[in-house]
Amino acid sequence: MIARVLEAAGLCTTSISLVREHTEKIKPPRALFVPFPFGSALGRPNDPDLQHRVIRAALDLLSQPAGPVLRDFPDDESGTEPAAPVQASAVAAAMDGADVAMETTQMRRYHEQWAERTGRTTVGLTGIAPARFRGVIRFLEALADGSEADMRERPPDVPLPVYIRRCVDDLKAMYYEARMTMKPEASGEDIARWFWGETALAQLVRRVKDRMEAAEDPAMKGAAFGIAR
Amino acid sequence: MPKLDRLPEVNRNALLTFPAPVNDGAPCSPLAKPLSACRVALVTTAGLHMRGDVAFVSGDQSYRVIPSATPGGEILQSHSSIGFDHVPFQRDMNVTFPVDRLRELADRGTIGSLATNFYSFMGAQRGWDRIQSETAPAVAKALLADGVDAVFLTPT
Repeated sequence: MIARVLEAAGLCTTSISLVREHTEKIKPPRALFVPFPFGSALGRPNDPDLQHRVIRAALDLLSQPAGPVLRDFPDDESGTEPAAPVQASAVAAAMDGADVAMETTQMRRYHEQWAERTGRTTVGLTGIAPARFRGVIRFLEALADGSEADMRERPPDVPLPVYIRRCVDDLKAMYYEARMTMKPEASGEDIARWFWGETALAQLVRRVKDRMEAAEDPAMKGAAFGIAR
Repeated sequence: MPKLDRLPEVNRNALLTFPAPVNDGAPCSPLAKPLSACRVALVTTAGLHMRGDVAFVSGDQSYRVIPSATPGGEILQSHSSIGFDHVPFQRDMNVTFPVDRLRELADRGTIGSLATNFYSFMGAQRGWDRIQSETAPAVAKALLADGVDAVFLTPT
């Protein structure tokens, strides 16, 4: 949709398509259909050669004077990653009763190494520094226990259900990046199975999700689905 | 995506029932010069933004400006859907937002130059009214003002 607006304004566009059936209907001027899952539009992380081949194939379409043009990227590169991530409900929880705050502190050490080594982190949606995540854990524990909890860091224009989700997203991102330090070869699926199956945080997130689902506020119920399912 | 017939049923159905609008034909602005002379911009619908910028919420039809020189560590993704794997983006931003790859192409002279600013929208939209009437035209205007010739759009 955006490509069509940009093109109509005088810009020459080329797009990556992940769902051929949708692209056939929407008809962006030029699109390259790739066989990769959502979250991997350019192929594989840390595979600049493949990324360059995808980009080159997409940029080559710019020479097409008129569209819609929808071309396929050779799909011998689809790899073995599953098309969609494993969800909480598909993983049995192997542990119970562990101390989430202690675990979070442990993860933070691995996460610091990750941030140092890669020079980046995707933790940051709440703006709360990982060193203060114990406060976020206390907040989630209070919610899971059914208390009326809130965070003083929550900006007034961010509704509570949205903020809860950002707290969970930040913690999950820290755990996932920590796991990539612990097990550099782990796939996305390995990490999701570890998180939902073996961490105390995941058990807490499940309890928060159950509370949110049972809430009367539809926004709270809706947000539950985005935290665990 | 892999071909839909290779997906689990729940994922296939979610995609097949998605209300993609049906358009006739496509607008066209042919490239007026060789790629090696073009100024190129990146526009993504992966819900990216700069650290500290306003995060996207579901169905958000606004956009965020990401200067093309922004270091990877300053870019966050608030399209936090659990419907896709975030690990590839956590490992390498370029798998969704290939800033480093485009810079390499500019350094090699394959493309002329990079736009001053790149732009990001939210993914998984089910409404496009504001994008069509307001926010995408605003991005088009800003790109043209920056002298951009060609735009590469990447999804989540």
